[in-house]
Amino acid sequence: MLDAFLNSAIAMATPILFAALGELLVEETGVINIGIEGAMLCGAFFAMVAAYFTGSTLAGVAAGIAAGVAINAMLAFLVVNLSVSQVVAGTALDILAVGITGVFYRKFFGITGMAFMVKPMARLEFGPLTRIPILGAAIFHHNPFVYLAFAVVPLIGYSLWRTRYGLILRAAGERPEAADALGLGVYRLRWHALLASGVLTGLAGAYLTLAYANTFVENISGGRGYVALAVVILGRWNPWGIAAASLLFGAAMALQFGLQALGTAVPYQLFLALPYALTLVVLAGFGGQAASPSALGEPYRRA
Amino acid sequence: MLSSVGKSIAALILACAIIAAVVLALGASPGGVFAALYEGAFGSWYAAADTLVKATPLVFTGLAVSIAFSGALWNIGADGQLIAGAIAAGAIGPYLGGWPRPVALGLMLAAGAAGGAMWGGICGWLRARRDTNEVISTIMMNFVAAQVLSWVVHGPLIEASGAYPQSMPIAPSARMYMPIEPTRLNPAIVLAIVLAIGCYLLLFHTSYGFELRAMGRNRRAAAFFGIPIARLTIGILALSGALAGIGGAVQVCAITHRLYEKFSPGWGFEAIAVALVARLNPLGIIASAIFFGALDNGSQAMQRAQGVSPVLVQVIQGLVIMILLAFDTSAWTRIRAELFARGADSAARGDTGARAGA
Amino acid sequence: MLRARDISKRFGRTLALDRVDFDAAPGEIHALVGENGAGKTTLMNIIAGRLRPDSGEVSLDGAALRSGSAAGALGAGIAAVNQSPMLFERFTWEENLALGGFGTAAFDLPAVAVQSRALADKLGFTLPPAGSTIERRSVAERVRLEVLRALSFNPRVLILDEPTGVLAPAELAPFLGLLSGLRAEGRIIVLITHKLGEALAVADRITVLRQGRVVARTTPAQTSEAALARLMIGEIAPEPTAPAPPMGIGETALSIENLSLDRDGHRALDGVSLVLRHGEIAGVAGVDGNGQTELVELLAGARSAQSGRVIVADASAASPLGAIAVIPENRDLDGLVLDMTIWENLLLAGAIRDRLAPRGWLRRGGAIEYCRVLLERFHIRAPGPDALASALSGGNRQRLEVARAVASAPRVIVAHNICRGLDLAGTADVHRVLAEFAAAGGAVLLVSSDLDELLELSARLFVMSRGRMRETGQGDRDPSRLGMLMAGNWE
Repeated sequence: MLDAFLNSAIAMATPILFAALGELLVEETGVINIGIEGAMLCGAFFAMVAAYFTGSTLAGVAAGIAAGVAINAMLAFLVVNLSVSQVVAGTALDILAVGITGVFYRKFFGITGMAFMVKPMARLEFGPLTRIPILGAAIFHHNPFVYLAFAVVPLIGYSLWRTRYGLILRAAGERPEAADALGLGVYRLRWHALLASGVLTGLAGAYLTLAYANTFVENISGGRGYVALAVVILGRWNPWGIAAASLLFGAAMALQFGLQALGTAVPYQLFLALPYALTLVVLAGFGGQAASPSALGEPYRRA
Repeated sequence: MLSSVGKSIAALILACAIIAAVVLALGASPGGVFAALYEGAFGSWYAAADTLVKATPLVFTGLAVSIAFSGALWNIGADGQLIAGAIAAGAIGPYLGGWPRPVALGLMLAAGAAGGAMWGGICGWLRARRDTNEVISTIMMNFVAAQVLSWVVHGPLIEASGAYPQSMPIAPSARMYMPIEPTRLNPAIVLAIVLAIGCYLLLFHTSYGFELRAMGRNRRAAAFFGIPIARLTIGILALSGALAGIGGAVQVCAITHRLYEKFSPGWGFEAIAVALVARLNPLGIIASAIFFGALDNGSQAMQRAQGVSPVLVQVIQGLVIMILLAFDTSAWTRIRAELFARGADSAARGDTGARAGA
Repeated sequence: MLRARDISKRFGRTLALDRVDFDAAPGEIHALVGENGAGKTTLMNIIAGRLRPDSGEVSLDGAALRSGSAAGALGAGIAAVNQSPMLFERFTWEENLALGGFGTAAFDLPAVAVQSRALADKLGFTLPPAGSTIERRSVAERVRLEVLRALSFNPRVLILDEPTGVLAPAELAPFLGLLSGLRAEGRIIVLITHKLGEALAVADRITVLRQGRVVARTTPAQTSEAALARLMIGEIAPEPTAPAPPMGIGETALSIENLSLDRDGHRALDGVSLVLRHGEIAGVAGVDGNGQTELVELLAGARSAQSGRVIVADASAASPLGAIAVIPENRDLDGLVLDMTIWENLLLAGAIRDRLAPRGWLRRGGAIEYCRVLLERFHIRAPGPDALASALSGGNRQRLEVARAVASAPRVIVAHNICRGLDLAGTADVHRVLAEFAAAGGAVLLVSSDLDELLELSARLFVMSRGRMRETGQGDRDPSRLGMLMAGNWE
């Protein structure tokens, strides 16, 4: 029981982790991407479309990444080059994504209620490691996406804090005018971060349709993008903190099924609401913005 | 360059052009789509009346969003606040049988306002006292509200037979007047217009409204001059929530008469487009809401006629917001200067040889 | 040879630079002087590649620089030190310097520290403790770090924008000596300043800018402070305002008792006390960053103290800070809402808002008319009460803030660095208004880092250093003595 729950928690943490790591990169350069939910949704949809029509999971992943990058590129043009309100632009992309995916779903798949499935992604085999009590089944029994997400954690940590490029990226979010005065190129850096984040968010979406649900349903992202925003805050803009926070939310989501299976008298809606309510409670307790990059969210225009 | 109204109109036209391209990509006819949209929205008296009916919730949520945005409080939770108001009204509605209609309606609207105010006020408090980003908190409250709604229609408020996930019907005395049968047009639109005027007066003719706008444009200066930022934050988000909540109660009183899941088709998000097209001016919200209500109304006809999913209107909403943001930015002067100067640069380098000798 | 040819730059309606030619040679200190607003900082930003000129070209040793490219300028060897230090607050000083010339592709902070120490020793600078962030450092330390960072690029050209403004008088001579040392190394030094004494003391050549144009090129031998001043403002300098004979010192208007305030873990205000009476102007001297900002914010009600009391005349439960009007140092950030109209900006002052919107209802017509009268009375040049505040020039914005402060009919006006960025005419205007206010019975607390202003206007003088305040005696009103007090030498 416990190992199934932990396995589930890790699996459910994965898309949130991907998205949150991408968002970390973006926020370190001073941009807040509310459109992350829309990017995830588009990533999920186009990943499924490509996988369904080509039969290739890899094509699906590529398409998912491309969709995530495309959405983020639109945001980048608006908030970096045109310095518009980051919150409003992001929200617009979320609305747009719902519209685009809905319209093209109808176009490709018609209005039948039939669910269009893609073949599930195989889990990796680890042989004897799986037999370790509890942890074995929890950790060594996942599809490649999961391991990729957790592998990115130290990668991002190293890049941001132990390389010159990372220092320059963070400088853009700390004080953009000073960064531009040193010729570091704030606009360019923010574009880089948004595009890289688009890859990660696209992967998060691709995971949802190719590995988790194996189909696309309306609003499959279910607010995970927004949860990722909260995870960045909870994780205190630190990749390890973000990994821990993602697991926390993964566990909350896994709890839904676990407790429902127990068949208690508590209404199931409580469990569905749990991740979101938990986000609120934790943000209320630990959600101060004091540890955020100094210039986060402020529109910046170079002189 | 363009006036405020001019920009809004130009944005809508540009959005339509992009939509035409999208429609072509879908294999449908742009002309057909726009014609169907118009037919569905204004093609008959019933249709036109229903456009106003569809616009009504957008006025309430649009006002909610524009009040909050004017204070730079990013309330993305108008959906949840509307639902909270609807739940409050739907909960007391069945029990108002004995009351005279004006009183019953008043209680319904008050309940709606209270529910929405609480939903918004919580996020206001979280922002003011715990420094919690209100974008995230209001969005989270949307999801929580949807689950609360699901619970009440499956559980405590479920209708008598227990077979369908919907709430008990509200008492006849709690229903809105329906003067213009067989349309669904009702006095709620008048209430919406009155509230819009009230919001306009609040925003531009009171010192409270001034403090709100000052806080929205320059929080630091407002704080420096002793404007009570924390108190305003809570108050504005509560007021914003109350407006959306009244919208929810109105839907229950006038249209649905009970609660069911998926009560809001996204009015809270659509309200952002409505508010921006209206330039955050409460008086403009009325026209803007009618425009988007027309789109919503026409979308069903569009689906029937052209086979395009009704969510195309959300593509329109998203595009309109982005275009308006792009129009409003003053970055264009700089971009123009940069493109200009790059030309001058290469020209200058061309005759540096001649200059060096000077 | 640094050459700037035919540089023009326009900001909105203002022509900041008008076909300016400027050059500087190796092994020289070239002073660029002019009033605030003459265009000196704009020219520096263009030369350093941070700003793109509308026309004209900058070249170094014959090679033209790409306009608007800071990276290009740095690569060519041009480094600039800003008027207010532009460091990364939350980064450590090593990281800040790693973003300067000592950083390499391989990320190696210890190596950066070693190189920094070597350079600092050579210059006679002391560095902060290893691994400390910029946040807590004093303003003077920040200037030094920024100079260090600029020098880490080993630049051919070093431009310094008003570097001595935040130094205590005692630190001035060593700093100018540093510049001479750099000159001896064959570098090109451009010193931007409005302090004519310094320019004459250390420069080889002097270029005078007035309202965006070059009006004179000269050398110290050929000119004098008076002549330069005349060139800078274009006419005989207006007579400094003699403090008007007070109507007689009256009752206590402001009493601060033993005020202490902590901020970010350090003591920003430490037992500050002062008594201010009606009819007098008291000055608070001190180098920026010694607690003045916290004191002013506290008096504005934007911050609260840990201990101590502030008693203002006309204080009541409804308005505990009573009849006090504060003019903040950061005009555009704290004092005005630039996106709102001029008349709406007047409403920021609570007293004016209460008057124009009794019981909460705002009569727009009355407010606009009130604004129009005020604009005339205080000679504020504006397109009209309905124009946005951003349409006002810096000097007129300041006049507006002063007008608003006076119009709110306070008992006490607190003004912080009120003439920073103003030209001589604007400064004289503002001083006159304050003097008139005091003469009519008001009380003024003038917080400033500009000794000339303080000595000219204030009857009594306090000095602030490291959060502590001390009243000066009659014998202390000598600039060098004040300099010592400001540096913290209180015996």
